[in-house]
Amino acid sequence: MWIYTFRRILATIPTMLAVITVCYLLLHLTPGGPFDSERKVSDAVLANLQAKYHLDLPLWQQYLYYLKGLLQGDLGASFRYADWSVNDLVAAALPVSLTIGGGAILLSIIIGVGLGITAALKQNSFIDYFVMLIGNIGSTIPSFVLGPVLILVFAIWIPVLPAGGWNEFDLRFIVLPLSLLTFINVSTIARVMRGSLIEVMSSNFIRTARAKGLPLKTIVFRHALKPALLPVVSVLGPLAISSITAAVVTESVFSLPGIGKLIVNGASNRDYTLVLGLVVLVTVVAVLLNLLVDLAYALLDPKIRY
Amino acid sequence: MNWTMKSVTFALSFALGGGVFAAAVPAGVKLSDKQEMIRNNGAEVETLDPHLAESVGANNITRDLFEGLTTSDNEGRLHPGVALSWKQTDPTTWVFTLRKDAKFSNGDPITAADFVYGWQRFLDPKLASQYGTAYGIFVLNGLEVAEGKKAPLTLGIKAVDKYTLEVKTPNPISYLPSVLSNSQFAPVHKATVDKFGKDWTKPGNMVGNGAYVLKDWKVNSKIVIEKNPQYWDAKKTVLTKVTYLPVEAGNAELKLYQSGNNDFVYQLPAGQYEKLKKDFPKEIQNGPILGLRYYSLNNKDPMMKDVRVRKALSMVLDRDILAQKVTADGQIPVYGVTVKGLEGADVTTYDWVKWPMAKRVEEAKKLLAEAGVKPGAKIKFTYNTDDYHKKMALFASSEWKTKLGLNTELDSLEFKVLLKKRHDGDFQIARNGWLADYNDATTFLTLVQCGSSQNDNANCNKKAEELIKQGNDQQDAAKRKDLLTQAAKLIMDDYPMIPLLQYTLPRLVKPYVGGYSTKNPADRYLSKEFYIIKQ
Repeated sequence: MWIYTFRRILATIPTMLAVITVCYLLLHLTPGGPFDSERKVSDAVLANLQAKYHLDLPLWQQYLYYLKGLLQGDLGASFRYADWSVNDLVAAALPVSLTIGGGAILLSIIIGVGLGITAALKQNSFIDYFVMLIGNIGSTIPSFVLGPVLILVFAIWIPVLPAGGWNEFDLRFIVLPLSLLTFINVSTIARVMRGSLIEVMSSNFIRTARAKGLPLKTIVFRHALKPALLPVVSVLGPLAISSITAAVVTESVFSLPGIGKLIVNGASNRDYTLVLGLVVLVTVVAVLLNLLVDLAYALLDPKIRY
Repeated sequence: MNWTMKSVTFALSFALGGGVFAAAVPAGVKLSDKQEMIRNNGAEVETLDPHLAESVGANNITRDLFEGLTTSDNEGRLHPGVALSWKQTDPTTWVFTLRKDAKFSNGDPITAADFVYGWQRFLDPKLASQYGTAYGIFVLNGLEVAEGKKAPLTLGIKAVDKYTLEVKTPNPISYLPSVLSNSQFAPVHKATVDKFGKDWTKPGNMVGNGAYVLKDWKVNSKIVIEKNPQYWDAKKTVLTKVTYLPVEAGNAELKLYQSGNNDFVYQLPAGQYEKLKKDFPKEIQNGPILGLRYYSLNNKDPMMKDVRVRKALSMVLDRDILAQKVTADGQIPVYGVTVKGLEGADVTTYDWVKWPMAKRVEEAKKLLAEAGVKPGAKIKFTYNTDDYHKKMALFASSEWKTKLGLNTELDSLEFKVLLKKRHDGDFQIARNGWLADYNDATTFLTLVQCGSSQNDNANCNKKAEELIKQGNDQQDAAKRKDLLTQAAKLIMDDYPMIPLLQYTLPRLVKPYVGGYSTKNPADRYLSKEFYIIKQ
């Protein structure tokens, strides 16, 4: 297991380097630079700005300069936000995204798996139809529609929660965005869990267990759940990564100061270092999540380790 | 001497004791016990360093945190700031007398030397302020310093004594006090800047001299400022705390307002003005500001270089329909480069504006025929992706198609790409807009002047250029205005661009917020002038 883990970690290095390099090149190839604004800056000011951010160097030197900083944990200075380094900006935004995104994933695993099991065991019952309905709503209605509806209901019609913004000391600000992201994720997990458990429950070894007279609870939790969880685990990685994409919309709808908002601002401002810093962060998270999924897979199915 | 007689000596309201500025609460208005306000400010600010601030949003906050020699109230009227009075001692020399009770937020007194340091810092190209060259032109050697051709020490500013400041200008600039109300000309606390470097603007570090001090700054979340007890007019500053929100999405902002999480909408979502006017009749606010929406015509393009083509394209656009039916948010049709409320030049227009549209179309067709442009010819219109601009672009293309038979290819680009294409001259017709930096015609004339970095049209009228020069050397304000108006008319007779609308800023302000005015052409609202009315 350790060798497998080490091998997987090593394999992430070229992946990350490739992502950073491609992103670096794409950013510099995109028309419109960080200092293009309504007010055209003078040549002298432009030269000073370019020197300040090393943009006067050949591209390969800029790239090496960036990598050197990266290895030292320095994501560089933001081109747009003169008063902050990219490290500062990421450090400020990350807790918000982790709270909302991470919290939503955790909650949706608990609720989604629970609902999926219930629906599978009560197949074709009212509960099953209800879970499927939730699943369909969550996967078909986009978050930019559902989010404003939640605000309308819970912040304007029944003003019990704030319409947006962030206050780390006030849990009320978390409720609506967390609910939205959880709802979207729950729908996927519940549907996958339901389908997978129904399939496992019709397997021969479950039939044998039933024939032996084991109680349903024992059959489900001791024999069926582990193999049924495999498809759920495999969707968790992509789901967590797609939560980052969903966060762009969610953070805009709820005016949250998270990573999603920074990505959008960074890209539109051509803030090269900020975008690269966030790409590095998202890549690390994606690689780590995939690694965790692979490890969980290996734990659930030992054949995978070999 | 003549110029001395006409010099601007500011006694303004001093008879009333040196400052009636700050919140003017009308008699009978009961104030709330809690004087706190939440105002949205659009995008996250790029900096809180007044010398580096570039965006409207950043300047909104730096004006609360820093104060220059002069300042302006919520109706756009000029007032003394750190300077108690000023006078023009000769055509290119201004002397400012500073108030002795002005202090930085740490209690240090503000002296003339602080302004000398501040201005030299602002214009030093090492700081790379994007406003350096734009504002450098107002101080002797300022442009040369900003361009790195002269040392900051050569700047035309001198501390005569502790509380007297002398400013030399490269030419007579009668509106200099108005320009100096911009926070780029505010003093900064040298010891703090030296001690903290770029971190001097962080909460806990920042030392300012405005009515408020920085309390908290969470990027993309909020900026909180609190009343500065050291401010010279602190007794009349009513709001004790202001929270600035950086919410860009119009609908999200509106929801915050409706739910009571925001008292001041920065800008309404596009297309909702009429509906919101009905829903919130007492809260809707809308007034014209010094801003111009226009379409740039690339005067070097093979087709657009013919003035007959440019004239024809301009003539057939019905600005009245554009204002009333398309944008439908109170904006005013415009036909010249200057707008209403602007000092230094009158609004100009064309003779054909009064013609019926059929006559305009007939004339435009004739002009196109003379220029050899046949119906079915293709023109390319470039704009940045935004529903508002798209709506306007569709209207314009429809006008050109139905009235002149021209086919418009619409090219929607991301904003940064449009900016680059416009500045590089890589377009035929492009969306454009301008908000005044200060209240004088020269800020708009830069859009159409020979060699101006803001002139995306690349037009040049030498005769008009001479008139502008004469105007700027003129001591008599009326004569100057006449010369600049003539210049603007002469330039617009070349049809370098298509002026469309004068900006208005429709927004919602809670009825309990006092001190807001729709008569503010610069759209600059100081928090110290607001107050919360008891409900």
